[in-house]
Amino acid sequence: MHELSIAQNILDIVVAAAEKEGAQKITRITLVAGETRAIVPEQLTFCFEVIAGGTIADGAELDLEIVPVRGTCRGCGEGFIVEDFLYICPKCQGRDIEITGGTELRIKDIEVD
Amino acid sequence: MKVNVMVDVMEANDRIATASKEIFDRNKNLVVNLMSSPGAGKTTLLERTAEAFAGKVRLGVITGDIETSRDAERIEKYNIPVVQLTTVTACHLDANMVASALPHLDLSQIDILLIENVGNLVCPAEFKVGEDCKVMILSVTEGDEKPLKYPLMFRESSLLIINKIDLLPFTNFNMDEAKANALKMNPNLGIMEVSTTTGQGIEDWISWLKQCWQNRVESLRSA
Repeated sequence: MHELSIAQNILDIVVAAAEKEGAQKITRITLVAGETRAIVPEQLTFCFEVIAGGTIADGAELDLEIVPVRGTCRGCGEGFIVEDFLYICPKCQGRDIEITGGTELRIKDIEVD
Repeated sequence: MKVNVMVDVMEANDRIATASKEIFDRNKNLVVNLMSSPGAGKTTLLERTAEAFAGKVRLGVITGDIETSRDAERIEKYNIPVVQLTTVTACHLDANMVASALPHLDLSQIDILLIENVGNLVCPAEFKVGEDCKVMILSVTEGDEKPLKYPLMFRESSLLIINKIDLLPFTNFNMDEAKANALKMNPNLGIMEVSTTTGQGIEDWISWLKQCWQNRVESLRSA
């Protein structure tokens, strides 16, 4: 249930960003979430709906762009998409993998009225 | 109207974690974030650690629980400064909660600060609290497939302590399988087998922790 804490962070950030623009209402939020962050979309949406009630983000749609985990093999330099969290190079079977993507958790943009 | 935001959702947490880290640097504390499922043996490991370091290394403990202060009461018996954080509903400690505990500890009198996170294999791994390293415990009664089910915590940890090895004969836990699964998630993970009940393997943990503390002191000196 770290989704509740994350939903609260999202709400704080988008409300501040919307108020800065003088907006009255937030209608849509686009969130970029790397796969390593283990976000459960239904849970996050549910938590967000609950805590956004009564704020300018009440009823806003939460769009999630899930980013796959990307790795680069430190042995042979191969770049690849890590599937099922198995950090093994598909080319040389090396296990020393640098994670190069899929760890982000960022609000990309919001739509406001 | 579309507004670009591009703000990291954990920005507030990470900012507080960085500020706490600066406080730990000033006080030369080694800070370990200890994580596991409920009942895996975090508090018992802290008790064994307190016994081993008594009179040698000054420990401090921050312990997080959803309710009650039972863990703190167990640790206070060893004359160690303890702060109990009761998270009420939160399933993890975040940087803000840990920062709120710091004024209640004399950090200048602490060498190693152990942060006992809330029992949970998922959420604690998401929140930095200003620690130098994360250590996790997996007990053999939980099963050898756990690394595959909860990859993030295994990925984030520097050390995996496999606890309750005295119970191995009574479980179907496959030690080789567990280690292979954990290393698949994190090839750099240190692994040790321990029983906090019988004391088997505790000396490995104590020397690991001591080594980490020495490394920390040396890196602060050269900084």
